Amino acid sequence: MAVATKPKVTPKIYKPEFPIDWCPGCGDFGIVNAIHQALARLNIPRHQVAVVGGIGCSGKAQYHVSTYGVHTLHGRPVPYATGIRLANPHLHVIVVSGDGDSMAIGAGHFVNAGRRNVNFTYLMFNNEVYGLTKGQAGPTLPLGLQTKSLPEPNMNAAVNPLMLALASGYTWIGRGYSYNIRHLVNLIVQAIEHPGSAFLDILQPCPTYNDLHTKEWFAGEDIGHGRLYDLQEEGYDPVIPQDADEDTVRAKLLRFIEKAQEWGDRIPIGVFLVNKNIDMYEERINRRVGNYFETPPAVRPLADENGITLTDLSPIFDEYLMT
Amino acid sequence: MAREYMDGATAIVRGAIDAGCTFFAGYPITPATPILLHMVRELPKVGGVALEAEDEIAAISMCIGATLAGARAMTATSGPGISLFSENIGLAIMAEIPLVIVDAQRLGPATGGATTGAQGDIQFLRWGTSGGYPVIVLAPASVAECYTLTLRAFDLAERFRVPVFLATDKDMVMNMATVDTEALKRVPVRERRLAATPPPQYRDPRWRPEETFLPWAFEPIDAVPPMAHFGGPHIVRVTTSTHDEHGFLTKDPAKVQRLNEHLWRKIMDHREETEFAHYDPQEGADVLFLAYGTPARAMREAVRQARAAGHRVSALTLHTLWPVPEGILSFALRGVRRVVVGELNFGQYTREVERIAYREAARHGVPAAEVIGVYRVDGLPLHPEAFLKAIT
Ligand SMILES: Cc1ncc(C[n+]2csc(CCOP(=O)(O)OP(=O)(O)O)c2C)c(N)n1
Ligand code: SF4
Ligand SMILES: [Mg+2]
Repeated sequence: MAVATKPKVTPKIYKPEFPIDWCPGCGDFGIVNAIHQALARLNIPRHQVAVVGGIGCSGKAQYHVSTYGVHTLHGRPVPYATGIRLANPHLHVIVVSGDGDSMAIGAGHFVNAGRRNVNFTYLMFNNEVYGLTKGQAGPTLPLGLQTKSLPEPNMNAAVNPLMLALASGYTWIGRGYSYNIRHLVNLIVQAIEHPGSAFLDILQPCPTYNDLHTKEWFAGEDIGHGRLYDLQEEGYDPVIPQDADEDTVRAKLLRFIEKAQEWGDRIPIGVFLVNKNIDMYEERINRRVGNYFETPPAVRPLADENGITLTDLSPIFDEYLMT
Repeated sequence: MAREYMDGATAIVRGAIDAGCTFFAGYPITPATPILLHMVRELPKVGGVALEAEDEIAAISMCIGATLAGARAMTATSGPGISLFSENIGLAIMAEIPLVIVDAQRLGPATGGATTGAQGDIQFLRWGTSGGYPVIVLAPASVAECYTLTLRAFDLAERFRVPVFLATDKDMVMNMATVDTEALKRVPVRERRLAATPPPQYRDPRWRPEETFLPWAFEPIDAVPPMAHFGGPHIVRVTTSTHDEHGFLTKDPAKVQRLNEHLWRKIMDHREETEFAHYDPQEGADVLFLAYGTPARAMREAVRQARAAGHRVSALTLHTLWPVPEGILSFALRGVRRVVVGELNFGQYTREVERIAYREAARHGVPAAEVIGVYRVDGLPLHPEAFLKAIT
């Protein structure tokens, strides 16, 4: 089969005509915009991308990317993404999920996905609130803060998504900001290109319910300088090389923890970790199955024209044979 | 004759692989664990993927995701896991996902009797998710039927694009029996109906097809739309929400009504295609023994003893529980004065039989058959005497 050269695409190609019902000024617009641009930069055909959304304002992002899309259940986009990717390892799979979707109801899936390291891109829209259900405290809202929908200050402490991603085993970890689109596009491109589970925590102002960590707050209007700074501009190297020795790994992890704890007047964004030391789950399957990438579950021929299975089970079940 | 000594779990795994199952995800739970173990061991050998998920919610979610990408998927659990499946069962109904779910029932409620058999999930399987939309439930009564009905489950799942349950129980999946594998009844593998391939320019990323293919359009209302796999030529959108023919969320009452009616009628208008049973009639019998699953074995022995003692009894082993096989039931109930239903619960299916008996009696203007339920809920199997006592 002749391989045609790929024509270049523009971000517009990924925009469907579906009415958007996010509030004006919502950070989600920036994220969707960045997804379009990242896909265009990577020149990925629409039918090779699946966007899997949870439930929340964030989960609706999959309606606004004109590729395969699944609107799943609250907290469940990760196992759906896992199933899609394992059935067809030639797809680019992107999860769009809120902080509540990811770190509260879906926290178990979040952790266990890290253990597997299936190749997908996880974009967490982090607005510290449950946007869709009108502003209850999300799992990333710090202890003692009181956003405008809360009757009392938050009684729970926040989970640190970067630390949880590290502990769970994600092999690419980053943080972006939904109003710094150029930077965000770069991060999403790198996350998609990473062969393994890539987790991107995206700081996403919710102008409707989060009146504390607003666009103005991130811009540092109260302190006279922007709060966000780019890790890479400060020379932070996130890469753990393929055969790094123990000392290198330990040093890298300590740096990661230090950076992941920074919050307040200086908040790092950028790439926190690229761990090349761990192979992706698909490679592990391939070592068991053999020709997994050529005939994954999605494309395996099942039966002949008479409906008779093509699978020869006799070697498998020989042990049950009575002679 | 090729005789093999195997348990129901092995027969189910074998049926699934013969049916073209390429993806399995499960979470350990007695008594469904053997199915997970066999799958993890055997499926990779035939090129499939089987994995142990972090919980049942993940297991069924992965199966649905894999199906969207083109796999044929199965999962297996017991009552506690069915509880966790609930919301995803609803999604599978809404998004018309072909999927096979094995329930190896154990005694409930809650953790119940983890190592004891029961049939307490029969109504739960039918009504286990919100909305009340139909699913299909099959119930094997022997190791050989575990094989055949697993094939049947995959077949019906493809035919109707709906989750199909295999309602088994601890004794069915774990007890060994000798099976003549050459005599096993097979069900041909049904090709998945896929949307026609569009012109080749779909590979051009700039190509934006006019809406030539509507993934969620059905005409007439009871027709099952063809699937379009992720990664294939059509861009499709799958959603948990009530949707229009494009897969976009809709609140338009006319479209909402039509979708919901479709989800109902695609199965209920064709329920005769889902009815399976084994009927053993006796000339002139006015007593009918009825069972499904493990108690059917006791029932068969009861029939033998009753007939040997000069009683006239017919016997019906239901292989389909949902939709209620009303055609078969009304046929078997004709001329019957007394029905004895044996179950490992407090009569969950007896009430369905009673309902049909009254309706048939009214229809024919005759007295309704007396429906007697014989139950056991101590984790032990029903004995033939339970049936026999009800006719002597
Ligand atoms: C099982 C279940 N429980 C509760 C809900 C209601 N619900 C919808 S979205 C949501 C929270 C969303 O918060 P988050 O994930 O942070 O997304 P955001 O809207 O902030 O983007 C909740 C609780 C639901 N849809 N399903
Ligand atoms: S509630 Fe917040 S997160 Fe949701 S659309 Fe409005 S601004 Fe965006
Ligand atoms: Mg949120």
